[in-house]
Amino acid sequence: MSQDQLPSRFYRLFQWLCKPDLFEELQGDLEEAFDENVETHGLRHARMTYRKEVLKMLRPSVIRFWQTPTFFNHTIMLKNYFKTSMRSLLKNPTSSFINLFGLSAAIGICILVYGFARWTYGMDDFHEHRNEIYLATFMADRDGDLQQNGSSPRPLGRMLTEDFPQIDEMTRIDDKQVIIKSGDNVFHERVRMTDQAFLKMFTFPLKWGDISSLGGVNNIILSEDMSIKYFGDNNPVGESMEVIFGQDISKSFTIGGVGVAFPTPHALHFDFLINIENLTVADPDLNMNDWSSFVAATLIKVNNPEDLHSISYGMDKYKELQNGVDSDWKISSFAFESIVTLDQKSEEIRSQVWWGSNSNYTAINFLIVIASFLMTLACLNYINISIVSASKRLKEIGIRKSIGATREVVLFQFLIENIFVTTIALFLGLLLGVKVVIPWFEAIINFDMGFNIYDWRLWVYLPIVLLFTGLISGVYPALYISKFHVVSILKGVVKFGKRNMLTKVLLGLQLLVASILITSAVMFSQNTNYIAERSWGYDPMNVVYVQFNDATGLNRLEELMLQNKDVISTTTSTQHLGKNIDLEVIGLPDRDFEVQQLAVDAEYFQTLGLRLKEGRFFDRELESDHQTIIVNELLTKKLGLEQPIGEVFNIDDANYEIIGVTEDFHHDSFHEAVRPTILTLANKGDEVFLAIRAREGSVDEVYAQLQKHWAVLQPNEPFSGGYQTDVWGNYFEEISNHAQFWTGIAMIAVLLAGLGLYGLVTLNVSGRLREFSIRKTLGAELLSLIKIVLRQYTLLFAIALIIGAPASYFAVKSMFDIAYTYHVPMNSLGVIIAVGLLISILLLVVAIQVQKVAKEDPVKGLRLE
Amino acid sequence: MKGSNLGEFQEIVLLTILVLDDNAYGLKIQKELSERLKRELSRGALHTALSRLEEKGFIDSYFGGATAERGGRRKRYYSLTQSGKVALKQAKDLREEMWRLVPNFTLSFS
Repeated sequence: MSQDQLPSRFYRLFQWLCKPDLFEELQGDLEEAFDENVETHGLRHARMTYRKEVLKMLRPSVIRFWQTPTFFNHTIMLKNYFKTSMRSLLKNPTSSFINLFGLSAAIGICILVYGFARWTYGMDDFHEHRNEIYLATFMADRDGDLQQNGSSPRPLGRMLTEDFPQIDEMTRIDDKQVIIKSGDNVFHERVRMTDQAFLKMFTFPLKWGDISSLGGVNNIILSEDMSIKYFGDNNPVGESMEVIFGQDISKSFTIGGVGVAFPTPHALHFDFLINIENLTVADPDLNMNDWSSFVAATLIKVNNPEDLHSISYGMDKYKELQNGVDSDWKISSFAFESIVTLDQKSEEIRSQVWWGSNSNYTAINFLIVIASFLMTLACLNYINISIVSASKRLKEIGIRKSIGATREVVLFQFLIENIFVTTIALFLGLLLGVKVVIPWFEAIINFDMGFNIYDWRLWVYLPIVLLFTGLISGVYPALYISKFHVVSILKGVVKFGKRNMLTKVLLGLQLLVASILITSAVMFSQNTNYIAERSWGYDPMNVVYVQFNDATGLNRLEELMLQNKDVISTTTSTQHLGKNIDLEVIGLPDRDFEVQQLAVDAEYFQTLGLRLKEGRFFDRELESDHQTIIVNELLTKKLGLEQPIGEVFNIDDANYEIIGVTEDFHHDSFHEAVRPTILTLANKGDEVFLAIRAREGSVDEVYAQLQKHWAVLQPNEPFSGGYQTDVWGNYFEEISNHAQFWTGIAMIAVLLAGLGLYGLVTLNVSGRLREFSIRKTLGAELLSLIKIVLRQYTLLFAIALIIGAPASYFAVKSMFDIAYTYHVPMNSLGVIIAVGLLISILLLVVAIQVQKVAKEDPVKGLRLE
Repeated sequence: MKGSNLGEFQEIVLLTILVLDDNAYGLKIQKELSERLKRELSRGALHTALSRLEEKGFIDSYFGGATAERGGRRKRYYSLTQSGKVALKQAKDLREEMWRLVPNFTLSFS
């Protein structure tokens, strides 16, 4: 009677946990106590006490699972396991190879993921004071959105140090494009102007020279790369360099120091450092106290990060100062950003110093997905193949069991074997990762990951990978194999793999994963072609350009080039497509609307091949066209203009009328979406770019002549021009690199899936060897045997591919939508190729296996011993 | 073996078994101990102590007959072995010896 009142769950738990030989006594005592308690204290209390008692039974002397694992101490047995593992590995070289190869390839990719993540998240973490340095940013309203900006008003830095004693150090950063001359070396360079504190705040040690030299206005500090570029391996400290800031403005600097090579990875760096006071040298009219102009960055270092709050509170007065002078850039608030997370946020914060993109952070996620896909494939292979090879070791297991091995011991043996294989795979994988995968990846995306094998974090990460792989791949086979009973093994009634649902599900999963990877590889290749052929919105072929910072020289060059009969047309402009574009703000009644601006002359459209949608281009003869603009189609759509022609906009307190609309064209590469753009007529004397359209086939001659004229007109300056088709740098290369990468990954995936299938079919065929032999003696042909084997895969393949095909389609589609702004329209070619490839692999594998059986003498398969 | 010396708790368990004489089975020992020590003692903790004592060879056990109570489960009765009795005696002698050597012992209530 009492048994019904016992808390049944606890009763069952106790029954399950307790050593069987103790259960009668202990449960008897508990139950007697329970009955007594019901009488004296009531049922509730009795049940409570019972539960407590059961929980307190969880101790080694009671629990059945707590058997002292005697086999741990037996070194002899361990040795024996090791030996048998080694033997079975060597005995089946094919399956050992499949396992080792698969696992090490997957581990190699894991190491790549680690290296890449380390690189990305380790950005700039070598600065000792990184937790104390903050970038001043401000929020400004742009087209209805609050945009955070990394630049700051020019006087801000100095006022901050005067107003807040909490600020320990402060530096401003501003960059200038200059020409640097040293002896016979003349190059276009970018110098970084900073305060003296720059080298104190950031950990950039010097190889030669002294960091205090940055305090002197006549000193210049070089990066290691620049020192080598100009002076080779010599110590250049004390040498002089001429910096040409612009027309007739140049200054001689003494080299005060040379930096040590920057650690990888770094976002903040410099080529040349000079004191920021030189801003007034570069531009004598410049007013350091002008709130309406900006420096690229203002950084402060505070000793106590809590002081930051009090500083932030005190920032409001600058807001008023700023908004008083510059009504264009209404600042809504200031904020300080820690430099630790700047690289991750660089997509949201507009900064000229930290301008990385967070695509690396997206890439990590992609890589993790890939690595886990490949890891899944490899582990599934391992599982299937372990089960196959176990069928060859049934006798071993039977004998072990009959001489006293318990199930746990056999389980343990197979786990040990698995760990043994995984460890070998780990080292092979490490080798593969460091020597093949990472160099391959670095070559593809063209950067140095600075992978360091002595990084302690790697050695924490690797055992985790090992444990994970070992468990995922090893547990199921070990459980499966150790399950068999001695008698049935020795009797020979154990059948392997015939009706194993799990292996089929696993194979289905493999097919799914492989299908997704193949589809994506095909899509990426298609995308490469698509991007290469995608229209830029203008015609960049046969166009060359040159940048010339002096308007009269530019006009002279234009005249010279026009004498060339291969030149169709020339044009000059202040900004140039693909090279340089301005930002302008259109004042709408209700908001500010930000647009890109190109100031050009009337021939620009014809020379670059821009296409008109409606209205007209500028007319050279009409002086009034200076009060007109031409806009791109996107702008009219964004502003919802039905009749754009004749619409008047207010820009910089002047009115401009729209006279034409062009089709959309790309200034940036296809990574970036097209933005609303206006074209205006350039003011005379402001032009710095010359673009030339050459006759078909003669663009190289025109380019050569352009360089020749340059050398005559500007003997002291390096040539700064190029082909219009090259303005996006290595963008196309990058896109085709993506395709290469995915093709590589897909190839590994196909290989892994193929090998897995091979293992499974081998299992199947060898398990049915006797049946096939009988069929053969009765006259079955090769083809009918193939049919029999195929029959059981047909359904599996059908299901896997019916799920897999749409799954691949949508997986790849969403991946493309994330990765690219413009990409090839989704189509089913990739899916078709994936399905076709997988089916042909199946056919091939089955054919090979059955062929083997067919060739063999059926007597071999039939005889018992 | 971990040695055959007797812990204090084990000593008390042995004594309890002696006290209960023919009726020394798990639940009784548990209740007797809890009462004497004035603290709650779980059956699991008692089991650990009993199994340790059995390992050391101080106690022996046998199953009694089945009864209708406790779900028809048999009781396991414990009794002291010869070496258990010797160990208990030694422990007692040691204590008495030492008590005799204590020069001056009064309980102070102030």
